[in-house]
Amino acid sequence: MSERADSDPWEELRALPMGERIELTDARGKRWIGTVVPRHEMSGERILPLKLASGYNVGVRVERGSRFRRLRAADAPAMRGPAPVAPTGSTVRDGPSVSLLTTGGTIASRIDYETGGVRPVRDESEILSFYPELRQGGRVRIVPVLDRLSEDIVPADWLRLAERVAAEFRDGARGVVIAHGTDTLSFTAAALGFLLADLPGPVVVVGAQRSPDRPSSDGPSNLAAAVRVARDGGFGEVVVVMHAGSSDERFAIHRASDVRKMHSSRRDAFESRNATPLGALDARGLHWDRAPRAAATGPARVDGPLDDRGGLLWSYPGLSPERAAAFAAGLRGVILAGTGLGHVGAAHLPWIREAIGRGSVVAMTTQCLAGYVDPFVYATGRELQRAGVLYLGDLMPETAYAKLLWALGHATDPRAVEALMLSDVAGEFRWRHPAEARP
Amino acid sequence: MRAGLEVHQQLDVGKLFCSCPSELSEEVRGVFVRRLRPARGEETRVDAATEFQAARGLAYRYEVSPASCLVEMDEEPPHPLNPAALDVALTLALLLDARPVDEIEVMRKIVVDGSNTSGFQRTALVAVDGRLEVGGRSVSILSICLEEDAARKVKESATEVTYRLDRLGIPLVEIATGPEIGSGAQAREVAEELGALLRSTRRTRRGIGSIREDLNVSAEGGQRIEIKGVQELRKIQEYVEREVARQETLLAVRDELRRRSARAPASEVADVSERIRAPTTGPLSAPARRGGPVLALRLPGFAGLLAAPGRSEERLGRELADQARAAGLKGLLHSDELPGYGLDEATVASLRESLGLGRDDAFVLVADPQRSRAEEALRRVAARAAAALEGIPGETRDPLPDGRTRYSRPLPGRDRMYPETDIAPIAVTAEHLARLGEALPERPGALRERLARETRLAPEVVRQLVAGDHIAALEELVGKGHTPALVARLLIQDLPAVPREEGAAEFEPGVRVLG
Repeated sequence: MSERADSDPWEELRALPMGERIELTDARGKRWIGTVVPRHEMSGERILPLKLASGYNVGVRVERGSRFRRLRAADAPAMRGPAPVAPTGSTVRDGPSVSLLTTGGTIASRIDYETGGVRPVRDESEILSFYPELRQGGRVRIVPVLDRLSEDIVPADWLRLAERVAAEFRDGARGVVIAHGTDTLSFTAAALGFLLADLPGPVVVVGAQRSPDRPSSDGPSNLAAAVRVARDGGFGEVVVVMHAGSSDERFAIHRASDVRKMHSSRRDAFESRNATPLGALDARGLHWDRAPRAAATGPARVDGPLDDRGGLLWSYPGLSPERAAAFAAGLRGVILAGTGLGHVGAAHLPWIREAIGRGSVVAMTTQCLAGYVDPFVYATGRELQRAGVLYLGDLMPETAYAKLLWALGHATDPRAVEALMLSDVAGEFRWRHPAEARP
Repeated sequence: MRAGLEVHQQLDVGKLFCSCPSELSEEVRGVFVRRLRPARGEETRVDAATEFQAARGLAYRYEVSPASCLVEMDEEPPHPLNPAALDVALTLALLLDARPVDEIEVMRKIVVDGSNTSGFQRTALVAVDGRLEVGGRSVSILSICLEEDAARKVKESATEVTYRLDRLGIPLVEIATGPEIGSGAQAREVAEELGALLRSTRRTRRGIGSIREDLNVSAEGGQRIEIKGVQELRKIQEYVEREVARQETLLAVRDELRRRSARAPASEVADVSERIRAPTTGPLSAPARRGGPVLALRLPGFAGLLAAPGRSEERLGRELADQARAAGLKGLLHSDELPGYGLDEATVASLRESLGLGRDDAFVLVADPQRSRAEEALRRVAARAAAALEGIPGETRDPLPDGRTRYSRPLPGRDRMYPETDIAPIAVTAEHLARLGEALPERPGALRERLARETRLAPEVVRQLVAGDHIAALEELVGKGHTPALVARLLIQDLPAVPREEGAAEFEPGVRVLG
């Protein structure tokens, strides 16, 4: 122990195990008694965080002249992980079975006290400790598939998930729930909509905007709603179930190709664009505004593969044609999120013509995120269409991107890819926009 | 006896973790409904107080206010801590000779009664080890914290509580004294002095509810009881004294129970619905009329200790009734208050007989349309009666306007705090403290000396002016040429006598009208 007045105990202190109780006398003679807790990533230099008896954490600066001694660690708290859950197996007996595939993300994350951020939970017992209600109300089979925040999910993971979903249906699942991070949830949902065919039951993608270690987390109610829709929905398509408003009372059911995360933090961030949600779940039960696709007799089929040589490019004033051309180089297809009715500046025409001439597909969506693209209203649109740009109606940029990777996986000839892009695969085109659809 | 104080003062510097004004509003711009559930902290236990609230399974309805945004709705992460609020807290640390911490870590204190939409209150320890001189004695200051105020409760039913979001997030400075206060009068003095010190920063909110005190009281041989949220400083003395009296009575009850060798009551419950006519008055009449079962719990050896003639309120019966209320019932009837409430002597006698009770034995009755709730109430009553054999359970109590208090919930433990990871730790630098140290406000002692010198008012009058938050009014009116003695009498005697609805609460802004 460092007891000499001029000693510097910093290295020794920072090496102490979490949960060690110490008495630390700082250079000004103040004695702190507390438990060593993980350092916050953003803590200052030479700051040792201690949990005091009051429960508060404080950061104490350790300098030359600071001294410390270890105390009996008798009542040192356990610092890691939620309470262990008794092994019960992954299922609850009785009733129809729903499979819950976990991928990471807020809905399956907990605070990481090392970094101050949230990290995915890794195993089933952790999931059950956060969502003990999963043990009630019918069989839920928990299947960890991925272990990632959604910003780290890549198109290859979509295929893996699709294969897992199909396998769960083959094994007799009545419905499948996928717990997913919300950032890229709508990409995954849209892709699964294209990848899964002949679905004999619902596939429900769900997330949470508040981590489950908060008493106010939307995770438990979203998950319960998703399981309910998967179990009782009886339809055959991919949907997203999330809060319909700020209240924990009503949950919207969105078609996978319609939905988009429209807010960075609100519980009701997910909205159907150009359409109303398919339906909702509330205390009175399931309601449908539009009929979901009927369940197929199965077996569920994965309609792969994907080809990830496609890209999504957001147009903006100042985007140089050289940059855009460099982006498109080496890609078999580019989705443009154009302005307004579907435009990029006339200066982009040369690289677009060149890419199309090379056999690429260039297709147009609108960054307005609602409404149709239309090449006929303005001269630029007519020019772009003459150059061979494919106008994608009211497909959202993300949906169009997911569809592009699917179409590229299914055809080599650009005309055939274009034909697939314009065909209605998963109910993704809306031919009328009701006034009540947002915005 | 021993008492300690926790003073909570709202600051008028905008909210602590967002850019909303720190103002209240009667305007409601929308509502939403949430549920909360206990969540585990970095330590693995779930706190008793947390479990207690979560077990109630209530829905929480929130009213959106012009003084709230997505942060109060728990729909947006908190913004960085308000630097003006931090300056006030650090200034108070300097005024109280306290030691600011080197790095402030904002914590989440789990609170699942719905008063925080997040399910936790954000709070940070800013300084420790201060002291305050009051009446020639030094009282230790254990901690100075900065925390967010809770939402305002506007309505409550058996299944739902309604809160308004305007108050949520208003910065509170919390100053906690050591448990060294030896009398109710001293508690009041300390509270007054801390109030004056807080106001000296000139960044405090005014009006009802802008300063609230938690009182920690334990009688000799008693238990620490937290009386939470006293809003009227002049009542502090009474709350402290009555709490000491309550504890002394309960200790006497314990001694008598031990003398009788009473044992903890069995949890077995008897359905006596068929045995008795429904009580016609009192807390059981409505539920029994609606067909709810009347359930009885035997309390062997407790006769005469639930109520005593003349002082019935301070005996064990009231503690038991509080438990029934905590389970969502209106209350209970106990044998020390029977016959009564429409139950005659013969009924009570036959009830005793059917329950197999002797002379020293007591019983309680509850009724509720939901049998499970009535049973839960009796489980709580049985647990509370068992605790009476040990002494006084540590608990949090709510102050009532008549000077009494009422059981609110178990004492919260330290388990309910974990780091607020959405906020980076905040370094407290020597430069920052030096800058604040150069602009310290006038301490209340110095203010009193200056006023006494300038106005020639008696020290006691000056003390009352400072304690009553009348300095701005005094200085303004004296500045307009009114004599200090007249103004002091107006502020201390005449205006408090004006009924509140006629303007006392409005007086301070009304200075302009008078001038």
